[in-house]
Order: sequence, then C-alpha cells, then structure tokens
Amino acid sequence: MYKKLFKEDLEQFTSTLKQFGSIYGPVKKTSRGCEFTELTDFKDLQLNYTRTMIPPKKFFLKPKEPLYSLNKDAGFKEIIDDSKTVLLGVHSCDINALNLLDRVYLNQFPDLHYKTRRENTIIIGVSCEPDDYCFCTSTGSSHALKGFDLFLHEISDSYIVRVGSMKGFQIITQNKHIIKNPSLTDIKEFKEYEAERLSKITLNLNVNGIQDILDLSFDHAVWQENADICFGCGSCNLVCPTCRCYDVIDYLKLDLKNGLKVRRWDSCMLKQHALVAGGLNFRPTRVERLYNRFNCKMSCSEDSLNCVGCGRCTVYCPADINFVEVLKQVRED
Amino acid sequence: MTVKNSLTPLEAQITRIEEMTSIEKLFYLKLIDLNTVKEFHYTPGQFLEVSIPGVGEAPISICDVQREHGRLQLCIRKVGRVTNAIHRLKKGDRLWIRGPYGNGFPMNLMENHDLLLIAGGLGIAPLRSVLQYALLHRNSYGSITVMYGVKCYSMMLFREEFLKLFREGDKLNVKFLLAYEDSDDFQCYQLSCERSDRCMSGLVTKLIESTAITPDNTYAVVCGPPIMYKFVVKELTQRGFTPAQIYMTMERRMKCGVGKCGHCITGSSNSIKYVCKDGPVFTYWDALKTRGLM
Repeated sequence: MYKKLFKEDLEQFTSTLKQFGSIYGPVKKTSRGCEFTELTDFKDLQLNYTRTMIPPKKFFLKPKEPLYSLNKDAGFKEIIDDSKTVLLGVHSCDINALNLLDRVYLNQFPDLHYKTRRENTIIIGVSCEPDDYCFCTSTGSSHALKGFDLFLHEISDSYIVRVGSMKGFQIITQNKHIIKNPSLTDIKEFKEYEAERLSKITLNLNVNGIQDILDLSFDHAVWQENADICFGCGSCNLVCPTCRCYDVIDYLKLDLKNGLKVRRWDSCMLKQHALVAGGLNFRPTRVERLYNRFNCKMSCSEDSLNCVGCGRCTVYCPADINFVEVLKQVRED
Repeated sequence: MTVKNSLTPLEAQITRIEEMTSIEKLFYLKLIDLNTVKEFHYTPGQFLEVSIPGVGEAPISICDVQREHGRLQLCIRKVGRVTNAIHRLKKGDRLWIRGPYGNGFPMNLMENHDLLLIAGGLGIAPLRSVLQYALLHRNSYGSITVMYGVKCYSMMLFREEFLKLFREGDKLNVKFLLAYEDSDDFQCYQLSCERSDRCMSGLVTKLIESTAITPDNTYAVVCGPPIMYKFVVKELTQRGFTPAQIYMTMERRMKCGVGKCGHCITGSSNSIKYVCKDGPVFTYWDALKTRGLM
C-alpha cells in the first residue's frame, strides 16, 4: 500500500508519532555526521544523511543493558525495558540488517529483551544518500522489502509512503487529513529518484560464490597483510549493523550482595572472544580473528550473507582496512 | 509475557558433594522450584550454564543420565573464576542453572550398535552419561567398550564406579580399558598387572592400537582435550571408521547457550556451526566440512 505525504506536512506528521513512543531520528552530532538521537526539536531532524556511525541495532541490542537484577541469596530477577520507541529515518541497509538480527534473536530461542523492544518499536524508513563507500546493491540490501512500519521514499516535494505493517496503517489513518494518494506523475518521479539513488552506488563487490573462495583462501597472504596493520580494536564490530556478539558480566554493588547481570557488545576482533577457562584460545592470532570476521560477514547462515553493504567498517576503521578491497584481493578479480 | 525466557537461571540446591581429585568435584543438584522440575529433561551430552550471582556463568556438561526429575550431577574442574567459586560451595548451598542446551548424543540412532567410548581426562564426564544411558537401556545396545585415558590413578574420575566396571564389566558386556600417562604410577601399574590387556601405560591412543576393534556396526564417541581428537580420529579412520561413525563433543566459550552471543560460531562461509546449539556433539564429518571445528 502506497500513500503520499508532502514534505511541508512532515513536522505535523512527526508530532503525531509521539503517541507511539519517544521519537528518535538522525540528528547532526559531529562534523562526521548524524546519530540517532531523541528528537526534542523537529528542526534537528536531518532526514538527508548518509550514514550514522552507530547503527540502529543500538535500540534493540543495547551497547550495555541490564538483563537481571541479582542477589547472592535470591538469585535473578528479570529486568524488561518495555518503553515505546519510534525510529524515524532508518535506511534500507539498516532495516535489512535488523532483519538479519531477527533471524538470530527471534529464532527457536527468542531473546525476550530483543523481542520486547522489536515489538515496542515503530520503524519508519527513509531513502538514503549513498556515498562512495556504499555497496548495498552488491549485497542485495539497497531496498527494504520488510521489517518496517512505514517507508518514506523521497521525491521532489513529498514522500511516497509505503505502508509495511498494521501499526504503520494506524499511523496513516490518524494522519488522514495530510495523507494523499500518489498520482501518476508522482510514480514517474519515484522511478526517477530511485534510479538516481541507485546510480550513486558505484562501489561493487562480487559476492557470487564468495563462500567457496573464502573457504579456499584460508592461507591467502591478504589476511596476514591486513592483520599486520589491524589494531584489533573491534571498531568494525561496534559500527557494524549486523555484528551482534555480546558478553554477559555480573556487577556486584559495594554491599557484595546485590548487583546486576549486564550484557554488553562484544567483539570477535578482541583476543578473549574465543578464550575458554584454562587458557585455551580457539582463535589465538589476529589473522585468525580477521579471517573469521570476514567469513562471518559473508555468511549469516549457509544461505545468507551477513553484510548489508553500509560501508561503516571501512569508513570507521582506524587502520584504513577497506572491507571491499580486502575481499576483492582475495577474489583476485 | 507469553514467551518463556530461555535465559533465566533456575535455582538449584547442592545435595551432595564428592571430592574426586585435587581439582575435580562431583556435585549432586536438586532443582528447587517444583514447577520447573517437570519441564526439566536432559539427554546425554547436553550441557548447562551454571551461575553464581555476582560471579558469573560457565557451561558445564551434565555427567549422569536422568533418573529422577529435577536431579542431576555435574563433574566440575576448578579452572576459572566461576568454577573456583563453585568449588568453594558446600552441601546445602545454592547455585543457579539454565538449560539444558545443545543437541546431545544421538542415543536413538546408536541403538542396536556397539559403542566405543573414548575419553581423555575430564572428557569422561559427558561420556559417563552416555555409558549410564546405555546401561540403563542395556538391551538396546550391543557391546560397550570404554577407553579412558588419565594422567595417573589419583586423577581418575569416578574411580570406584569405573574400577568396578574394569573388574566386573564383562558381566554386562562392558569392556573398560584404562591408559595412564605417568608410567611410574604404582596403583595404575598394579591394575595393569591385574589385566595387562585392559590397563596400560601411555595415551588413550595406545588402547586403540592394542585392542582389536572393528568399525562394523559400531559408533565411536569421543570426548577429551582438543588436542586428543586429532590423534584418536586418525587411529579410528585407519581402522575403517567412516567420518559419520565418529561422534565427538566440543568445547567453546559458550556464553548464552542458545546461539545468540556469537562466541562459539565456528566454520567458514560454507558451513557455519554454533557449537552451543548445533552441537556440542558433532560427527567427524561435520568437523571435516566446518573449518576450525576440530
């Protein structure tokens, strides 16, 4: 179902979203760009942005979140954050990344914390402004087909709004007076805008058969070359919208009786990621960890990539390791 | 909330502790909440996440077969922060468990076959549950051969139980073989004098070399320190075991147990395994196609 919303009505539209939860959207934070921040003033909203440093996964799998309050004698008591949130202005790649996280967190053992927040969050997508680091057309994530409630496709003076869920339909219904039907001209414009957006994504990574190539290239020199310059800092994991490893830590208060069981993001580039008690490490060297990360990004499972081509790992790598370039070298294209 | 949170730990009480070696104790646990008792089923080869509030959590395999609801045994070596804290607990103290997790051994598939159980050190713990299960359903399985490698007599786990099998196992069609690493160990030497074909100085592979085993209608089940697998598998394949006839159980940093936290993911793009939920029991065929699993 497609509707139309004039850009001049966006402020009014946004104000009606408040009843569905706290609104978070891209707000310019640093010289490097926008971050998803709670929207207190509509003027701060920057829907035309390239990419945030931290992806929207931070709303579903928080960088650090308490899972249980704990007591030495009484054990664990669940802490569930059931606050309602509206995420305004999420790009296709990031929505596709959430769909990949769903495959892990909502499978046969659904994660209650993740599931609760997924259910309590409304996602409103928006067309992106690609740059030279985007390669989402290669990973099949330049369009979000599901995983959102509304999607705002930008055209000249308005948005073509795709309704993706019943909640989205509810929002549309509440804004009846400013929601129109797209005209034939709008549809024509939509096609032009989409074509222009896609034409900006010029970086290409050939992922066809990459699984065999990676498996057979375990000893390729490119891994050691890049491991030599990699700081092993784990920034790539933090900014990756599909990286989802977490660690769980018990924190005790000063009374040594009460505390919190907290989970926080972990990183496969850190040495202790595969370390077990007794000192055995299943990935003791950086080159093994680097190879493992590239493999993991190229396979969520045997039938799916685990990369949405957002370009963050390359943009924010302090050692300037270029994700696409490394894979191209492995392919020897 | 209608969804059951599979990550919430259950309270359990320690009903008995047996000191087995200088570093290993056997803990007998009883679940406290009667509602959870009925739902708590485990099969050989599955593991639990055991936690002490404020200290942390560690994956531990269950070492007995389920007989009574809500009761289980864990053989725990003190090796890290959590297991050291568990070792300080006393009878009557409580700890928290969640699970059971993992696939466990395919006990149904192995029915009507001979079993060859090969363990090194603490690896005997999960295999003990397989052995107990097979003994409990004795008519469903063929002959059982256990090959157990230890450092020395004092490091032998479940000593009384296994010495009984060593001496009287034939009545149950169980051959129990022991290999000991420390050639100067007097007590093990005495055992080898008792039955030179059943107890010998050397590594567990020595037992495979010196025993007539055939792959016909047999499943091999292996558990031990990671270094052991390579050598055991080599011996077994040389004797004609196919990769699908060899089962082994793996260790990893398993923080969640349910395939979320990402620490135990192994393999390359062609075969991805979560050791916690796809395993910890794998065939040697899985290991051959999954890079880094073995």
